Amino acid sequence: MTDSDEGERASDAPVDLLAEREQFVRTFLRKGVELTEELLRENQELRDELIRARDHSAQLLTQVRSDEAMRELLQTIERLEGEKRQLLSRSEQLEASRAHRDHRADSIERELNDLANLYVASHQLHTSLSVRRVIRHLHDTLGQLVGAEKFVIYAVDPEESQIIPIGWDGFANEEVLPVALGTGPIGESCLTGVSRIRSSADMSPEGDEDPLAVVPLLADGRPVGAIAIWRLLEQKSGWAKVDEELFSLLGAQAGMALIAANLYSRTHGPLTALAGIAEKL
Amino acid sequence: MSEPNKSCLVVEDSAMMRQLLVFALHRIKDLEVTEAEDGVDGLKKLAENRYDLIITDINMPIMDGLKLVKRIRSDDNYKDVPVVVITTEGSQEDRDRAMSLGANEYITKPIQAPKVIATVRQLLGMVSESTSP
Repeated sequence: MTDSDEGERASDAPVDLLAEREQFVRTFLRKGVELTEELLRENQELRDELIRARDHSAQLLTQVRSDEAMRELLQTIERLEGEKRQLLSRSEQLEASRAHRDHRADSIERELNDLANLYVASHQLHTSLSVRRVIRHLHDTLGQLVGAEKFVIYAVDPEESQIIPIGWDGFANEEVLPVALGTGPIGESCLTGVSRIRSSADMSPEGDEDPLAVVPLLADGRPVGAIAIWRLLEQKSGWAKVDEELFSLLGAQAGMALIAANLYSRTHGPLTALAGIAEKL
Repeated sequence: MSEPNKSCLVVEDSAMMRQLLVFALHRIKDLEVTEAEDGVDGLKKLAENRYDLIITDINMPIMDGLKLVKRIRSDDNYKDVPVVVITTEGSQEDRDRAMSLGANEYITKPIQAPKVIATVRQLLGMVSESTSP
């Protein structure tokens, strides 16, 4: 080899080699750029993934917290439901108690009303010794307390064996006639002393000749008269509970009130009526 | 603070019904009750005293309840005072007649004390708890 061969410079390299080297460098650089770009892209993707993962994690955390809150909420709801059930149960008990009390109060009011009717009927019957007034009280008891529209009050006339009308309402005078003792429902009742009261369901409309009720008036256990009812007031469709009590009261007391008033009418005032009472003890 | 006393006039010819009505009305606390035996007696009592409410029967001697209602409504002192008619007359015609003459309420006999008490309380604007035990 010659000196000239040893001193050959790179620029003296063949053109093909230079081009190849340049091509290599370019390729190298391009690959580097591509790799860098890919790295950057991957890096970006990883960042995005990280962000998504963080978001997801945050969501999960929120959900977990939400679930805990939900569990607490559910527990609270359950507790409140329990309290609600207790309160409802208590409320129902109170409501039932109130309804019972209201019902009892209504019942007491009705009983008080009935007792007042009975008291007033009895009181008025015995506050007078006038036959007319006693009959007037019987009239009022039947018309205003029982609610009878058509009725007759009878007294037994033992001498004639008949029952004579002594007070009435709803009939013309000529319609009210004496009844033979033992005849018909009134005559029988005055003979036997047994009441005949038809049930509310058995009350036929106008035109029935049979009385709705016949109540004998007793004194010392014997019938001395009767009251007979044929029709009730328009607004009264049947017997009330107190009517039965009123009939019992009239049956037991009206006869004696009539007898007392009748005997008293033959005397000259209350003191004369009491004369000789000590001798009868 | 207690309510001022209210007063009521009961016009009824039947002593029995008067007693029953007074018995019922006395259960209303702070209500003074005065009785009259017929329409004329009622007018006399109305002239002598002031009443916050009037209860009257219809069928009465001397002056019936409807004439009394008419007289009450023509009196400037009583034209606005509540009037309750309590009667055995149960037809709609009787009811309409009484109401057209100026009655405020119409109650048929036999009476139920709770209904009378409730009606009186309502017309006098009294609270329901004011019943005497």
